[in-house]
Amino acid sequence: MAAGAVRLLSACRTLASGLSLPAVPRLSRGGQACRALRVGPSFRAPSRSVSSDDKVTVHFINRDGDRLTAEGKVGESLLDVVINKNLDIDGFGACEGTLACSTCHLIFEDHVFEQLDPATDEEMDMLDLAYGLTETSRLGCQICLTKKMSDMTVRVPEAVADAREAIDMGKKV
Amino acid sequence: MPQTLKLASRSSLLLRCFPEAWAEVGSKSPEAVVKRQKSLDDIPGPTTFSFLADLFCRKGLSRLHELQLEGKAKFGPVWKARFGPILTVHVADPALIEQVLRQEGKHPIRSDLSSWKDYRQCRGHAYGLLTAEGEEWQRLRSILGKHMLKPKEVEAYGGALNDVVTDLIKRLEYQQHQSQSPLIKDIASEFYKFGLEGISSVLFETRIGCLEPNVPEETERFIQSINTMFVMTLFTMAMPKFLHCIFKKPWQKFCDSWDYMFAFAKGHIDKRMAEVAEKVARGEKVEGKYLTYYLAQEKLPMKSVYGNVTELLLAGVDTISSALSWSLYELSRHPHIQTALYHEISEVAQGEPIPSASHVARMPMMKAVMKEVLRLYPVIPGNARVISDRDILVGEYTIPKKTLISLCHYATSRDERFFPNPNKFQPERWLQKDESQHPYASIPFGFGKRSCIGRRIAELEVYLALARILTHFEVRPEHEDNIVRPMTRTLLVPEKEINLQFIHR
Repeated sequence: MAAGAVRLLSACRTLASGLSLPAVPRLSRGGQACRALRVGPSFRAPSRSVSSDDKVTVHFINRDGDRLTAEGKVGESLLDVVINKNLDIDGFGACEGTLACSTCHLIFEDHVFEQLDPATDEEMDMLDLAYGLTETSRLGCQICLTKKMSDMTVRVPEAVADAREAIDMGKKV
Repeated sequence: MPQTLKLASRSSLLLRCFPEAWAEVGSKSPEAVVKRQKSLDDIPGPTTFSFLADLFCRKGLSRLHELQLEGKAKFGPVWKARFGPILTVHVADPALIEQVLRQEGKHPIRSDLSSWKDYRQCRGHAYGLLTAEGEEWQRLRSILGKHMLKPKEVEAYGGALNDVVTDLIKRLEYQQHQSQSPLIKDIASEFYKFGLEGISSVLFETRIGCLEPNVPEETERFIQSINTMFVMTLFTMAMPKFLHCIFKKPWQKFCDSWDYMFAFAKGHIDKRMAEVAEKVARGEKVEGKYLTYYLAQEKLPMKSVYGNVTELLLAGVDTISSALSWSLYELSRHPHIQTALYHEISEVAQGEPIPSASHVARMPMMKAVMKEVLRLYPVIPGNARVISDRDILVGEYTIPKKTLISLCHYATSRDERFFPNPNKFQPERWLQKDESQHPYASIPFGFGKRSCIGRRIAELEVYLALARILTHFEVRPEHEDNIVRPMTRTLLVPEKEINLQFIHR
């Protein structure tokens, strides 16, 4: 059983690297990739930033691994923060927070995730369609900042690694 | 359910879908795989002659949804066919549909060739959300999305919609009183009126009398125009343009229907605007919770308001009617599910005679019933995308830019690999998701920024209506053996009348 699962996993990775059929990377996302990130330095030693009462500092780990830090107001959604602060996250929030897509998908630290308000059915349905879903995934447009979130780090899942890009690049060259 | 389970099952699905790919990929590098991509020419499909014969001789236009199943059985998950002048690549696998949608780009295009657009150009009307593209579309989508999709905004329509539901119940009782029988014939036609009254209340915050004992003639004509327009849409799309001059009827009927719909919308908008202007002139404060008002506030040109409101009106009629008709049809044939849903409604509403938006939000069975109804009878049985600026990969094929890609939702939502007993009405499958389900196998509202703008309002409207109907009535079939199948009329609708008994509780 376990061996079968491993075989499947590696088969899918191979398939993913070749055909890059979307659903596949979820397999690795929930596992090591995330855990590796969770014990990363940014999580270990959060430096408490000094901010006024209604300000919350949030760190985003972008797809390329870059860390973006921004300040938002209590009550603002994480999508608002990305838009208002002009954070360069490609394709983020395509439907403008109307719960029609899952491009504002973010991955949370366990201890923050546990404290979030439960997701509505509508958000769950959209998350189901998200790329790179994990156990601590939520939609950024539905998560509003609270003081408790100060200095949290959220991760933007990788983009669809699409072989189409290889074709496009090939053509450009 | 543990995510990993779902993930593993999805990947095994991939293997099932592409056994050849798996066998060949092996240890090859990605580059080698990319080179192995097949082209449009390699995609199988029927000859133009046999497809046209299917369409016009075997009632294919009304069986387009079944042609999806036949195409998939014959050619696999990807095939091509010529629909009139347009070459279409059909995609009938959830993983491939997902792949297409993830590549739809910033301003997704449903189809760049369309008789709907031709009509607007011909008459000098503005495009609405359904027909606009590019930056123009984005602007409309941003304005409308803000008022139609955000959960809080949608909840605010609950009161107005519930007033319409109250009139629907009265109307059903009136019909029963007239016929001295619990039987209500052709429930879809009652729900057309309900749909039109509902969307009018959202758009104009006024009532237009569709559910009165004497239905105004103009609303009957409006509903008739929508039906004719949808039938003619398929004909006008299938016929090359030059044939429009020879066989004039379809195009003419098509235009007449649109003319009526545009005039109907304009009449109502102008009337509402005049009322507002009068109020302003009297120095009264003007405020409103209706879409036409918001559109005018956004400083959209009136022409654009007309175009959008016309499209929103027509989009709120068939969709609501089909979803409600099929729901009650299936519930009448599955009394134990109806009973379970009735209990859920009673428990959540706790004696409140009019369940509200916040009540129905807490009804998982209700939502499962709706998902199952739309899985079996997706109102839009097939959607489409055109990627205009680049070639994309779909499975093992490279699809050239500007190709019309048809997303075969009906085929995937009735595929037994994802839904065991695919033709059975089993709402419980949505309550305990099976690992075989693929999230893209049933997406009746589409997904992403070009998905259905009316989705949340429609869901609320149907939940409120079902909650109240089932509170008042137990619904039974007219005869057990009276099976109704779906047919395509651009949208998926019942092929014949659905007659049901509404027994007072």
